[in-house]
Amino acid sequence: MGNLELLLKGFAIVLTPQNIGAALVGAILGLGVGAMPGVGSLAGVALLLPLTYKFNPTTAIIMLGALYYSNMYGGSYSAILLNIPGDSPAVMTALDGYPMAKKRKRPGQALLTANMSSFIGGTIGMIILTFAGPGLANLGLKFGPSEMTAILLIAMTSISWLVGENPIKGILITMVGILMASIGMDTLSGSPRYDFGNMYLLGGIPFTPFVIGTVGFSQVISLINERNKTTKKMDTKLSIRGSMLTKRDFKRLVPPALRSGFLGTFVGVLPGAGATTGSFMGYAIQKKFKNEDELGTGAVEGIAACEAANNAAAAGAFAPLLALGIPGSGTGAVLLGGLMMWGLNPGPLLFKNEPDFAWGLISSLFLSNILTLIVAIMVIPFLTKILSVPTKYMIPIITVVCVVGSYSTTYSMYGVFIMLASGILGYFLQKNDYPVAPMLLSFVLAPLLETNMRKAFIISEGSLSIFFTRPITLVLMIIFISLITVPIIRGILGKVKKQKTA
Amino acid sequence: MNIKKKLIILLAVLSICSTSLIGCQNKETSKTYEPSSTISWIVTSSPGGGSDIFTRMISDIMTTENIVEGTIVVTNKTDGGGEIGRNEVAHLTGEKANNTLLTFNSGDLMPMVQNTQNRSSNFRILAIMAVDKQLIFKSEHTKYNDFKEAIEAAKNGESVVIGGSKGDDIATYEAMIEEIGVSQDNMKYITYDSTGDAITAALGGHVEFVISKPAAASEYVEAGLLIPVLALANERYTGNLADAPTLSEIGDYENVEIPVWRGVAAPAAMSDEAVAFWSEALGKVAETEQWKNDYIEKNKLIPDYKDTVEATEYVTQYEKEFMEANGIE
Repeated sequence: MGNLELLLKGFAIVLTPQNIGAALVGAILGLGVGAMPGVGSLAGVALLLPLTYKFNPTTAIIMLGALYYSNMYGGSYSAILLNIPGDSPAVMTALDGYPMAKKRKRPGQALLTANMSSFIGGTIGMIILTFAGPGLANLGLKFGPSEMTAILLIAMTSISWLVGENPIKGILITMVGILMASIGMDTLSGSPRYDFGNMYLLGGIPFTPFVIGTVGFSQVISLINERNKTTKKMDTKLSIRGSMLTKRDFKRLVPPALRSGFLGTFVGVLPGAGATTGSFMGYAIQKKFKNEDELGTGAVEGIAACEAANNAAAAGAFAPLLALGIPGSGTGAVLLGGLMMWGLNPGPLLFKNEPDFAWGLISSLFLSNILTLIVAIMVIPFLTKILSVPTKYMIPIITVVCVVGSYSTTYSMYGVFIMLASGILGYFLQKNDYPVAPMLLSFVLAPLLETNMRKAFIISEGSLSIFFTRPITLVLMIIFISLITVPIIRGILGKVKKQKTA
Repeated sequence: MNIKKKLIILLAVLSICSTSLIGCQNKETSKTYEPSSTISWIVTSSPGGGSDIFTRMISDIMTTENIVEGTIVVTNKTDGGGEIGRNEVAHLTGEKANNTLLTFNSGDLMPMVQNTQNRSSNFRILAIMAVDKQLIFKSEHTKYNDFKEAIEAAKNGESVVIGGSKGDDIATYEAMIEEIGVSQDNMKYITYDSTGDAITAALGGHVEFVISKPAAASEYVEAGLLIPVLALANERYTGNLADAPTLSEIGDYENVEIPVWRGVAAPAAMSDEAVAFWSEALGKVAETEQWKNDYIEKNKLIPDYKDTVEATEYVTQYEKEFMEANGIE
């Protein structure tokens, strides 16, 4: 049987009133959970799992799958409306989403752009998953330490596309990110670094509170300082119609969403890369393409690029989970736990032994993608009302959101302290025109780069040859080296030309 | 309103939020113990690995068999190699201490006493549920036919890479290469965050061998993706792992067997009533058919339930021997 036929059979299983209802409930819950910063899909799925005990396995997994999936939509809400990323992939969404909502006064369009591109990215990811899932999972396996090192080197160079006008400040802030990431226990040998005898620092700096602080809480501080300036009220009509995208918006949205859809799926399949890396890379690559507005000033393209990549990566992450039983994330592992509870054996034989279930799950992803889009569009008018709340009320509201969000990621006050400290750091950085995004990006990528590079060197006994003798690595290294050298050569050639003409 | 007043209000809001979040710890403990509606169960290693499967299986049985009425929320706290999670559990007090469990294995104890001041006496040891052992597996990419070939290659100066998880996998690896008599440079070990990650690397051909307990590898053996090549035990396994010889079968070596125990601990402040309740609840789990068939039998473990008294004695002795062997004060 072809995959398409199996998928249609999956739809036949999924499309019962009961299952559609389950998917709808999952989608609504997921949007809510996703919109709360710090409370991710992991908590949502874990909390809902016991409720599904009484369901049959297929209905239960449809509900959980819908919840997991709609989470990715919800993450962008607080990023766009409050400049607080709901989850780590939404950091990039905030870069353009918040300016678009605030400065360009198009909050509805910003949300709709995020939702539409999430939908496009997710659909691309699912189509690829349907037809090439097991193949992709096997391709992902080929990416060992040396390949991942090469990919991460490319990703690190792409940070330079985000640094903005002042390269020195950009490099400096990237280094700060790497330095912050190196705090904590080294994952290979277990030796502590920069922990100053503190057990919390031994565990490193948790990412979500760090993000909420540098991006969200720093804003509270600037709002307190600037509260007298912002007296203008938003008088835009808050309706679905008023939030509709124009034809031109659509034209701007689709190409980056398609590109990021493919890129994101691929990144999602890689072991340990995840949705965050996907959305970062989607955004960075978009910088290299033509954009109507400059990225970072509220460009439709910017939102589309990262949101599509984020959702595509979430779909791509299902490939190793279903084909090989490898959970790509904490949420995936909880889903695996669910599978075992229902008497299914997750692993390489799942597709063979339980085709109804596996294909039912995949088709339920399609279903929940559509349902979430509908629910998401319906709530936009209510959400945009948040923006008309006066600053004096916004300050305590955002503070509470920041505190609760950073608490719930680590379930300890440590997260809140990190959030407060990085909020102050973020405020001073922004005040002095240092871009924050390169710091966050290097914070995420540096530890991945370090462990992969060190594993590669253990395998090669310290020899660099491992980066040039393996075919995939070699291709990636050539891309990496040309990314560095081409601008330099171009610069030199340009100078030579100038001298000749002069 | 001036800036000062606003700042004061802001600080007040902050402090109210923070105290309401942690304030619920200070309620008085009642005499007879009733578990609360939400039980928090901390696992200090990554999702999908052996400890995680162990925990989720017990929590599922507890809920489905109505041994515990409420909801059990399993949280993976991997920060600081798990030390943060362990330390947090050790220091919980009040009502929270009575409703928090911790998966505590020999692989958790070893790095804990090596890297931190935290000791098993900072916990209540509720039970030991089972004893586990490891095997070495190869994948289709491995260039050696069996482990004997790999040992010879390593002795001839080739570099053989073994992947595995932290803690007890490293201890078993170290005991094994000491017995074989090769250096850590010729038979290298790459530490992954979890056995699942190490298996992923083996499936992709990035490490030659992977060390794993039967549980995490069994689905891959069933699918023919991993092949067991060495049993790190005194006798062979049964079933689909029966083909793997022990170390003494492949050369002039002693068998290497480092028993890996799997247990459950709780905060030191857990009340005696609660300790008795949980120790008994875990004993009931150990008696269920589901536990025997779906966990012990399936993962080829040795069922070895020890109640809180026996388990505390066993763990204390184990810790003492480990500290002496490694010269830890």
